[in-house]
Amino acid sequence: MIVRALRSALVWALALLWLMPVYLMVVNSMTPAKQYSGNPAWMPTGLAFFQNLSTAWTDSGFGDGLLNSLMYSLSAAALAVLAAALAGYAVVIMPLKRPTLWFWLIYLGTLLPLQIFLAPLFKAYVAVGLYDTNLGMILIYAAICVPFAFFIVRNYLSTLPTEITEAAQLDGASWATVFWRIHFPLIRSSLLAAFIFQFTWVWNDLLFGITLTTSPDRRPVMAALAEVSGGFASLGPPVTLAAAIVASFPTVVLFIACQRFFVSSLKAVG
Amino acid sequence: MALATVPKSAAGDATISRRRAANHSRARAQAIPFLLPALGLVAIMLLVPFAVTVYQSFTSDNGITSSFIGLQNYGDLINDPSFVRSLANTFMWTIGTLILPVGVGLLVAILTNSIPGGRWLRFAFVLPYAISGASTAVIWGFILRSDGALNQAIRFFGLTPPSSGWLLEWPNNTLVMIVANTWQATGVCVILFLVGLQAIPAETLEAGSLDGASGARLFWHIVFPQLRPVMIVVIGMSIANSLRVFDLIWLLTKGGPGSVSETLAVTMYRQTFILSDYGAGAAVAVVLAIIVVASSWLYLQRQLKKG
Repeated sequence: MIVRALRSALVWALALLWLMPVYLMVVNSMTPAKQYSGNPAWMPTGLAFFQNLSTAWTDSGFGDGLLNSLMYSLSAAALAVLAAALAGYAVVIMPLKRPTLWFWLIYLGTLLPLQIFLAPLFKAYVAVGLYDTNLGMILIYAAICVPFAFFIVRNYLSTLPTEITEAAQLDGASWATVFWRIHFPLIRSSLLAAFIFQFTWVWNDLLFGITLTTSPDRRPVMAALAEVSGGFASLGPPVTLAAAIVASFPTVVLFIACQRFFVSSLKAVG
Repeated sequence: MALATVPKSAAGDATISRRRAANHSRARAQAIPFLLPALGLVAIMLLVPFAVTVYQSFTSDNGITSSFIGLQNYGDLINDPSFVRSLANTFMWTIGTLILPVGVGLLVAILTNSIPGGRWLRFAFVLPYAISGASTAVIWGFILRSDGALNQAIRFFGLTPPSSGWLLEWPNNTLVMIVANTWQATGVCVILFLVGLQAIPAETLEAGSLDGASGARLFWHIVFPQLRPVMIVVIGMSIANSLRVFDLIWLLTKGGPGSVSETLAVTMYRQTFILSDYGAGAAVAVVLAIIVVASSWLYLQRQLKKG
């Protein structure tokens, strides 16, 4: 009985400790920036959240960042998932020579640290005019997202009985028809899991954002947040915190709504 | 956990008829358009830059002119005290990540799995996982500033906070950033451990308690061995993630003051994009890649064995 009570107390204490940073962020993002005393507030002192947000919006192009990231995340994740589905189908279902070699060629991309791609990408982007463009960002994000999505799709396809393909082949259907009619509907839920996962990844990226873009109307949201945060002192902590809340909002909502998908794609990693 | 099997080679099947064999070689050619989008993206955007970085690490390159200098960049790195410090920080990050998020994650998963309302409490730990590294840096920057929330709380309890501040002195800055990262990274460990815990059959636990095991003994002898596969995944993932941390450090300290709180991921960025020393930056990236791949070996081996 005592052990059980202690256990509960420990979890409650830890959970409150974990929520404290979020609480402080929310409370202080509501303090009017001009009235910020220099000391963090522990109790709400105002309702200026939207005022603070609009300061970030107008003074450092934060709104552009949000829209850019929405475009980058949606299109890169969709491209990557589609490419990964086709490749997974080719490697698992179609009679391909050396499927393991192809698998590792595509999967290798996810093992290496991102830093190893950065400098050549930067130079090549500048040389071919992709630096600081929407297309350039979508291409690199899609490429980064392919290996993991491919891994999820391949794992799922490997569990399907081979009879499914054979039956469809007897009907004389082409590989493309078999893919769209049979396999695509079957892997839809794992594609959705991969899509959500990759959307979140792209949304949260900072590294490529600060390396491959520079102008506010091309910059993704995390790079915009980094700039707001760099101006911490001038714009005031409440403005920065309000911006951080808005930047986190989409992925937190997505995460809560799709926790099941996150868990299933995490399971696939193992 | 995952159902990963390497697709079996169609070529090895001796029983296929000649007609089907002909179909197969046609199908092989047909597979290429299916592979091409993924392979093209990965090859052009990732594999080629990877090869170029490896080559660049053997050159002296200021972004405009470059010349081949063999292993000199690597030799220079070993003699550079700031690189050695960066390596030490990277090591601290890895050890810290193995102890904190993995340990706390296991504790939270077990505790919330056994008490009523645990599902809701667990949410507090999982929520930060959905928050980006950059936002985490903003929140913790607010907490750790010299006039920040942590020092205020310390003074409230009548104690004196360290005069140098949390982010201005090594090793304090690296340690508090590891704590900030723990806040964000614990959630995913909790989720994975919970998946592992819930996969343990109820009969196994019943059999254990019938044999007289309870509490800590039940945990160590029955539950813990069953968590081994999940443990390997969590450890592999945590090591890889600890080596990749960039956003948090870049926004909280820029690797400074000077370069004392840099890890390899940050050192590479500074060498390349701040100092424009592309050769040295590439060498750091290669060292980092070798460490990442080598330390993922445990995890990779498991993947391969399943395949």
